[in-house]
Amino acid sequence: MDDTVVNFKVDGKDYQAPVGTTILTACRNAGIDIPTLCYFEEISEEAACSLCLVEVKGAKTLMRACVTKLMSAMEIFTNTPRVRKARRINMELLLAGHPKDCFTCDRNQDCELRRLAFDMDIRDVRFPKATTVEFPIDLTSPSIIRDPNKCILCRRCVSVCANVQAVYAIDSVNRGKRTKIGTYLDKGLGNVECVNCGQCLLVCPTGALSEQNITEEVWKALSDPKKIVLVETAPAVRAAIGESFGLEAGTLATGKMVAALRKLGFNKVFDTQFSADLTIMEEGYELIDRIQNKGVLPLITSCSPGWIKFAEHFYPNMLKHLSTCKSPQQMFGAVAKTYYAQKLKVDPRDIVVVSVMPCVAKKFEARRPEMASAYAYWKDKMKLKDEDIFPDVDYVLTTREAARMIKEAGIDFANLGDEDFDVPLGVSTGAAVVFGATGGVMEAALRTAYEVISGKTLEKLDFENVRGLQGIKTATVDIEGKKLNVAVAHSLRNARVLLDQAAEGKSPYAFIEIMTCPGGCIGGGGQPMPTNTAVRKKRMEAIYREDKNKPLRKSHENPAVKALYSDFMCKPLSELSHKLLHTHYMPRGR
Amino acid sequence: MTPELEKLKEAGLKQLLPKRPRIAVGMDTCGIGNGALEVYAALQKAVKAKKINAYLTKTGCFGFCAQEPLVSVYLPGKPLIIFSAVKPDNLAAIITYITRGTLDKKRVFCKIETWDHLACKIDYGRDYPNIPNWDELSFFKWQKKIVLRNCGLINPEAIEEYLAVGGYSALFKTLKEFTPAQVVDEVKNSKLRGRGGAGYPTGRKWELLAKAHGDQKYIVCNADEGDPGAYMNRNEIESDPHSLLEGMVIGAYATGAAKGVIYARAEYPLAVERLKIALGQAHKYGLLGNNILGTQFNFDIDLVEGAGAFVCGEETALMASIEGAAGRPRPRPPFPAEKGLFGKPTTINNVETWYNVPAIINKGAEWFTQTGTEKSAGTKVFSLVGKIKNTGLVELPLGATLQTLVYNIGQGTGTAKSVKAVQSGGPSGGCVPTEKFNTPIDYESLAALGAIMGSGGMVVMDDDNCMVDVARYFTEFTTSESCGKCTPCREGLCQALNIVRKVTEGKAQEKDIFTLEALADVIKDSALCGLGQTAPNPVLTTLRYFADEYAEHIKAHRCRGGVCKDLFLSPCENSCPLHMHIPGFLELFNEGKLCEAFDFILRYNPLPASTGRICHFHCRHRCRREDIDTPVSSGEMHRYIADTVYRAHQERAVIQRLIKEKFKATGKKIAVIGAGPAGLNAAFYLSRLGHAVTVYEANAQAGGILRYGIPDYRLPKDILAHEIEFIKAMGVKFVFNKRVTAEELKNIIAASDAVFAATGAYEEILPCIPGEKLNGVISGSDYLREISLGKKPKIGKDVIIVGAGNVAIDAARSALRLGSRVTVVYRREKADMPANKDEIHEAVREGIKFVFLAAPKEILGDPQGVVKAFKVTRMVPGYYDVSGRKKPMATEDTFEIFCDTVILAIGERANARILSEAGLALNKNGMVKADPFTLATTLAKVYVGGDLVTGPGTAVEAMAHGQKAAEQIDLCLTGNKDRFTRLFKVSYGYKNEVPDKPSPKNRQVSGRLAVAKRRGNFKEVSLGLTKPQAVIEALRCLRCDVKE
Repeated sequence: MDDTVVNFKVDGKDYQAPVGTTILTACRNAGIDIPTLCYFEEISEEAACSLCLVEVKGAKTLMRACVTKLMSAMEIFTNTPRVRKARRINMELLLAGHPKDCFTCDRNQDCELRRLAFDMDIRDVRFPKATTVEFPIDLTSPSIIRDPNKCILCRRCVSVCANVQAVYAIDSVNRGKRTKIGTYLDKGLGNVECVNCGQCLLVCPTGALSEQNITEEVWKALSDPKKIVLVETAPAVRAAIGESFGLEAGTLATGKMVAALRKLGFNKVFDTQFSADLTIMEEGYELIDRIQNKGVLPLITSCSPGWIKFAEHFYPNMLKHLSTCKSPQQMFGAVAKTYYAQKLKVDPRDIVVVSVMPCVAKKFEARRPEMASAYAYWKDKMKLKDEDIFPDVDYVLTTREAARMIKEAGIDFANLGDEDFDVPLGVSTGAAVVFGATGGVMEAALRTAYEVISGKTLEKLDFENVRGLQGIKTATVDIEGKKLNVAVAHSLRNARVLLDQAAEGKSPYAFIEIMTCPGGCIGGGGQPMPTNTAVRKKRMEAIYREDKNKPLRKSHENPAVKALYSDFMCKPLSELSHKLLHTHYMPRGR
Repeated sequence: MTPELEKLKEAGLKQLLPKRPRIAVGMDTCGIGNGALEVYAALQKAVKAKKINAYLTKTGCFGFCAQEPLVSVYLPGKPLIIFSAVKPDNLAAIITYITRGTLDKKRVFCKIETWDHLACKIDYGRDYPNIPNWDELSFFKWQKKIVLRNCGLINPEAIEEYLAVGGYSALFKTLKEFTPAQVVDEVKNSKLRGRGGAGYPTGRKWELLAKAHGDQKYIVCNADEGDPGAYMNRNEIESDPHSLLEGMVIGAYATGAAKGVIYARAEYPLAVERLKIALGQAHKYGLLGNNILGTQFNFDIDLVEGAGAFVCGEETALMASIEGAAGRPRPRPPFPAEKGLFGKPTTINNVETWYNVPAIINKGAEWFTQTGTEKSAGTKVFSLVGKIKNTGLVELPLGATLQTLVYNIGQGTGTAKSVKAVQSGGPSGGCVPTEKFNTPIDYESLAALGAIMGSGGMVVMDDDNCMVDVARYFTEFTTSESCGKCTPCREGLCQALNIVRKVTEGKAQEKDIFTLEALADVIKDSALCGLGQTAPNPVLTTLRYFADEYAEHIKAHRCRGGVCKDLFLSPCENSCPLHMHIPGFLELFNEGKLCEAFDFILRYNPLPASTGRICHFHCRHRCRREDIDTPVSSGEMHRYIADTVYRAHQERAVIQRLIKEKFKATGKKIAVIGAGPAGLNAAFYLSRLGHAVTVYEANAQAGGILRYGIPDYRLPKDILAHEIEFIKAMGVKFVFNKRVTAEELKNIIAASDAVFAATGAYEEILPCIPGEKLNGVISGSDYLREISLGKKPKIGKDVIIVGAGNVAIDAARSALRLGSRVTVVYRREKADMPANKDEIHEAVREGIKFVFLAAPKEILGDPQGVVKAFKVTRMVPGYYDVSGRKKPMATEDTFEIFCDTVILAIGERANARILSEAGLALNKNGMVKADPFTLATTLAKVYVGGDLVTGPGTAVEAMAHGQKAAEQIDLCLTGNKDRFTRLFKVSYGYKNEVPDKPSPKNRQVSGRLAVAKRRGNFKEVSLGLTKPQAVIEALRCLRCDVKE
């Protein structure tokens, strides 16, 4: 007898599955879908929503398909009056307490609750709203809004925060009908260890979680004739934004995106990839410097703002390992309001920098008080007062927000012709585009570091070892006989593994890339929904496709970056670059 | 046993049976709550002051909470004497006993000559034959103390006393004689099941753990007792903590667990404190820790205080709580035996389960299975609380019935109210109605009723409980204790609570009940853990067993328990079948508005002077004044008001007003069949509503039972006749001497817009014994009828009345007045007699003899066929039946009572033959089928009421049917709901204020005709209140009708 498989019956038909398979997986494989709102593949098995009920012969009560493992000779019934009655009533119970403001809800088009109610043919909800209690909306975070009134307490957000990110910023609090998902002492997301990654938002089946919407302010800037409004777009956006307009996941929409943004009225459509190349120059030289001058190693990347806040909360003693480089978003802002402003001969205060990011943590990052380097640069030159302070990046839009603006403007995105970014801040290499996927920064850095250290041309540009969705990836690169150990982690639970190792002084790595979100930026909290493993893979493929097609694929070959150094900043790690492109971190406590 | 322990044991024995007096005060939480600390201090003072050489100590709880504080006194060689309800200022009996050895029997609760601690017996001594042994008291008689074997007898803080009664001998035996597998087998063979409520076989659970692989295994004691009204575990731990530890150490040995955890409710500080002491002692003497009793066996126990959440009693939530996480359940499987505490194999047992273990080891599995049933061996401890006389901890062999628990041990409510139900298993359990009290208490039988054994809470409910409100209470509890994780529990319970609340507020509709039922089913079927899966039980069982109460709330906006305050004006109004506005007319009287008071009364009751004489006075049963002294005599008050108005001839103006207020003629013709209380009242209202009413009556006069059943000395005929005139004055037509045949009835129905039939219950039920046909045997109602017609029916000198209802008492007192010697024979006891208590009291005063516990066997006649004696079977009170009374059981013994007349009055029934022939459907019991809320029959246009529907009831209940039928007929004919309500609207006002201070006066009792003056006549006995009495009485009303 084969003890690695179990035989079972679903609705009278015989099936076989590997031991350990849940009823839900088994049924879905057998072509029978079972409704669920709290289960989320690989992330959440909370057994809370009570919709995935099935009848199992011999069991006293109905069983939850999501957590019940198959047993030998199990007989499962998925569509009996008892099952339908229980699922229906539980669905009605969830709907009874849920606000009926679907028209104006952020999740109007992709609400799982609404869709499931339709699929379950719920025509009437027998129950009124059970209590009159209204929970206050949590507006404390610059990135994420939580409306507990829309929450159905599925706990996917809690699971992702704990299981994937190991941040544990939220959990359910209170009992009975007063239960809600909240933070420590109800302080609000903005006042606890939340790193603003927004993964909770991606898994939320309803509109309980949404980003702080900034589109109104961007519209205002666009319609202000005095302002020069620049937009920078992150690498991962082009690989995902098409999904918001019905294009298949994995569609590379760079040209359409540029055209759409230009139609929206942005004066210049630039690319964060320009500053990604710049980042590689700065970070690459920092790495070389630390290696050659016995600096603190491993050096850890710093482009992912969620990861930065995470380190500030949980690894305050490790902050010296972090690269001092700002993220590409912030480098862009600083360059735009200094170098570019000078080039245009305009008051930097008339420049509005809008970024389109796959990320909600970027909203937090742009508001960090230290992210006002252009102001510091101009302060003395223009005799600015303290209150004249302006940020390097004014507004951060998520991919979703940008898509909403394009829709509101009536732009037929899918049928737009391709257009090119503006120069000079729109010029980039293939090394910059791979920033969008986990391992990309590492790969880009290696391409440059190899050539800079060895002075030779790299023959094979693709570092396959650091690509893909494996949680932690490592590689050893041979540069002129010198072995460089590197590691890549995405999602913060994986980051902890490398961090703990480094904290114990046992890290074999010289360079570590950490991305907050699973899959890197292509799986960021600002991306279109759904964002799941399959979608992440497709977006990733698009990213590497773009890299392959770029004529230049190494950051140090970017002519615009070269020009920036020769015309303005001299060289990487120069004094001016330190002022504008580097930053510092602060321990935040728990 | 180690020498050290042997020495300790000897010291313990010297403490238990010292050579000087030992005084032990029961000092557990309930004892302390009842003043045990003060008693202890007072005893200490007294002993010191009087220089008494006595050993003063404390014990745990002996279980009888209603008698706390208990003090046990041991004099060398004498039985242990238990004094109950000891107060610091009444220690004399105890002191006298200690100092002089003389015993005041009245102060003694019981004695204990010898006690079986199961591990050993303690012989105190034998003496005092006149003092009941503990197990002769009804509270203890049916109990068997296995779990509570040491409770209340040893000092819970003294390990030496535990050792002295055989403590830890089971552990010693285990380590010496048993392999772990043998222990598991022994527990399996004992058929012990989990006492936490679910009843999983303990041995099987242990076996799973014993076989589980893992570097670390845990055993856990669940001492998070959270059910409202349950405190078994608290008392067990407070009284005998070492038994728990011993059980757990044995369990650890059997399963291979090296670590134990006791998860104790933090709200039990004394239990926690005593556990800590016991743990310290066990450590000190090598009973816990490494190398237990010198063997290679290591085991230790941690004490964790609970987080105060009810859900933490659920095992997966409990483990989460121990681990330091929020106490929320997770799905099972995996079961704890596989993946438990800290992910390791774990077994969790309830406190009481562990207590059984040492007893099983000591006495053997076979001994254990001798108690209880085939599937449920052993005993179960229950906390018996609520509306019950004997509250306390009861340890019953499983399989004993609820009847034994509630009536034999608990002795019923101890008040005039009867038991309605028992809530078994707390908020997760169900309400079991009295009809099901013969159910054996075991896991399966209770589950079949929709209840659960639970941890052992038994809350008794009586007539004053509203079962919908009970469901609301428990659902409110579980709703707030739901952990909030799964949808059905969090959202579903809240919705269920809202529906139940709507019912209690009279805002629910019938369809809500269907929703509620479906919802409760789904919660039960789909909640994640035991809390949610059992939480709907109170709703489901009350829906199942008390559906009529839900229906009453919804359809009639009525709460018979008088609990749901939105549904009634005041408790008296709620209890009065006619819903008379009692506080209103009392206040009008207080304000000197006599005629207005009379007017207000008349709107609800056209026969106030008549009913004020003969009513059962339902209003008195629920009067809140009872909490201060005695209920207000509202019935006597409306009699007084009516009598006074009649004496002054002031009623005419009031009647004229009512006639003037009559609604415009509707042109509808309504026939009423029967001019009894129901028919008269229906006619009164229908006529006021503007309908043309004709009443058909078989007799020559109206009044029915009031006229032809109740003797003049209770209700003078002129009073009744005077009040019936009011109804005539309303325009009601009467057709007398008309016994309607089936054919005529059909014609009447065809010719009328509606018909109301209320022909009463007159047919005498016969006992079916030999001799019923003898000369001199007559029926009670026939006899009373003859008298009411002014005849003097010929009866003998020695009359026996069979029965104990009002007809029997009326017949007895009438016969006495006509010169006979009268004996009433009844098969039950005096307290069980259904007749009005007042009537029975007067009958006794008048010299009527009573023979109780005697059932008719035969009427003996002389050769001429004339009665000469009545032969009865001597009965003994047996078990309690559904009515909460002891069922009389026949003995072999019979005896004869000399007599020449036997009047049979054991009951009457309705004869609905004519109605049935006219096309009305009947019930199985021969009564007319009618909707209880509308009184509509299966035949269109025809309504019925009174005894035809209910069987023999009271006159006022019949009148209530008349009232309701009028309302329903009017609604049906006009479609207007408001018309009927308008009949009660009045133009005059009165104060709506609660009295500053309740009147201090006690109830005013009306005068009675001297007993000597009652012979040979039918003069009225109750003389009614005097004016000063009435003034006082009316002021006693607390005005419950005034709402803020």
